[in-house]
Amino acid sequence: MQWVQILVLGLLLGGVYAMMASGLTLLFGVMRVVNLAHAAFILLAAYVTYTLFENLAMDPMVSLVVTMPLMFGLGVALYLILFPRLEASPRYVEMTVLLTFGLALIVEGMLTFVFTGIFRSVRPVYSSTAINLGEIFMPTSQFYASTISFGLLMVLWAVLRFTKTGTAIRATMQNRSAAQIVGVNVRRVSAISFGIGMALAGAAGSLLSFMFPFFPARHWQWVALLLALIVLGGMGSIKGAVIGALLLAIASAFVTDLFGPTWSPITFYLTLFLILMLKPEGLFGAKVRL
Amino acid sequence: MPLLEVDNVVVGYGAGPDILTGLSLNIEEGTSYCIVGPNGAGKSTLLRCIAGFLPPRVGEVRLDGARMNGSRPDQMLAAGVCLVPQDASLFAGLTVKENLVMGGYLIEDRSLLHERLETVYETFPVLAERKTQHAGTLSGGEQQMVTLGRALMIEPRMVMIDEPSLGLAPMIADQIFEKITGFKDLGITVVLVEQNAVKGLETVDWGLVLDLGSLEFEGPADGILADPRIRDLYLGKAMTPREGA
Repeated sequence: MQWVQILVLGLLLGGVYAMMASGLTLLFGVMRVVNLAHAAFILLAAYVTYTLFENLAMDPMVSLVVTMPLMFGLGVALYLILFPRLEASPRYVEMTVLLTFGLALIVEGMLTFVFTGIFRSVRPVYSSTAINLGEIFMPTSQFYASTISFGLLMVLWAVLRFTKTGTAIRATMQNRSAAQIVGVNVRRVSAISFGIGMALAGAAGSLLSFMFPFFPARHWQWVALLLALIVLGGMGSIKGAVIGALLLAIASAFVTDLFGPTWSPITFYLTLFLILMLKPEGLFGAKVRL
Repeated sequence: MPLLEVDNVVVGYGAGPDILTGLSLNIEEGTSYCIVGPNGAGKSTLLRCIAGFLPPRVGEVRLDGARMNGSRPDQMLAAGVCLVPQDASLFAGLTVKENLVMGGYLIEDRSLLHERLETVYETFPVLAERKTQHAGTLSGGEQQMVTLGRALMIEPRMVMIDEPSLGLAPMIADQIFEKITGFKDLGITVVLVEQNAVKGLETVDWGLVLDLGSLEFEGPADGILADPRIRDLYLGKAMTPREGA
């Protein structure tokens, strides 16, 4: 039964990865922007959660109602201030990579200034308990985090599928110029998508805060992992990001079991290299020319 | 009052040079136009400017006498000005029907959307046959039909069509031109850009000759076709009927 246990642990982690990766891939799909600051913003939300927990004793899962709208607003504002002026640039993609790299450094610097570089973690009562289902055990924190992540993914799916804005987002992901031709205001759609991606980053930050200890420079490790997830799934495909996240999380759980936790990160980077060499468009991605 | 006035417009891309260098022309409601001229004359740029994709650096675009400078493409579309661009800009992964429905993105009323869909199927019976097929799997001519049908979804006042015959076999191109002629009967003002100048001018009422970013000459289309001086000066090889055309 040990492999079932590993599978369950992989799935639990995969749920959270899937939510983080879908925010990142949504941004890429709509705007063709690889947001290198995505994990930095996740950390920012984790520190907001930490502050609320330490000062107001707010449960980290409750703090989602703070971090998600906060990050949505920040995302829309950042987009409107920073990105439209780059649109006319013939080096748009390079510019946005530099821009988001700069944003990551700024967020990291500010977090280090305010919270210093030491490890922090949020420890609600459920962070050290486990749920036992027969022989299978699940850390309570991971079970909660994963359930919320899958719930938010369902909400994202419903928004994209059933709302007018969702239709506009999907149309823009498919073909930006065609969307413009039929009357989609792509700047508005981009701003909203940036906001949604950031809101998902906010939720991820709140959930990660009680799953793993964190420090300001931790985001480089996370963003590398996220890039591996969305490259595997196919950049710009949300379905791909979710499946890629689940696959890699399960794979790394098995690698950890077989070779020890030291080897777990290699799962992601090795997959990244292999995918880039063998099938650069990923499992579900369209071939993209930049 | 003309439907659309382009008044002394200067336009260029990014920080690049001026493509249109002070162009003025009027589009009257209910008349069909074909813009001809050599490569690089600014034909497509003019259409993109009118549709709100490129703001004029100087000058004005007026619709019903109202200044439209700075309007976004979706606002121009809502005002009834529709662009059918050169690269069949379809949603390749969506079905024909879904593409047409996307054409009615600005329509809020669902029953009206359905009504329009039926009208488009009547105008383009081939689209009704293909409605569940993915647009990316259609032939070039059928894809062009989808873009034209999609443009009809909002019942525009004016449709600007950029190079509809590009890459199509002459027989297929003829079918497309026939549909475009039909637009006029639907009360839609047509502005056509066409590299096959003979075909284009035969399709419309009025010819506009562009060169070096400004309007060189305009007049009744049949007059331009008959005038050897204009043929030699501005239309050059494009006027030699192609094999089979």
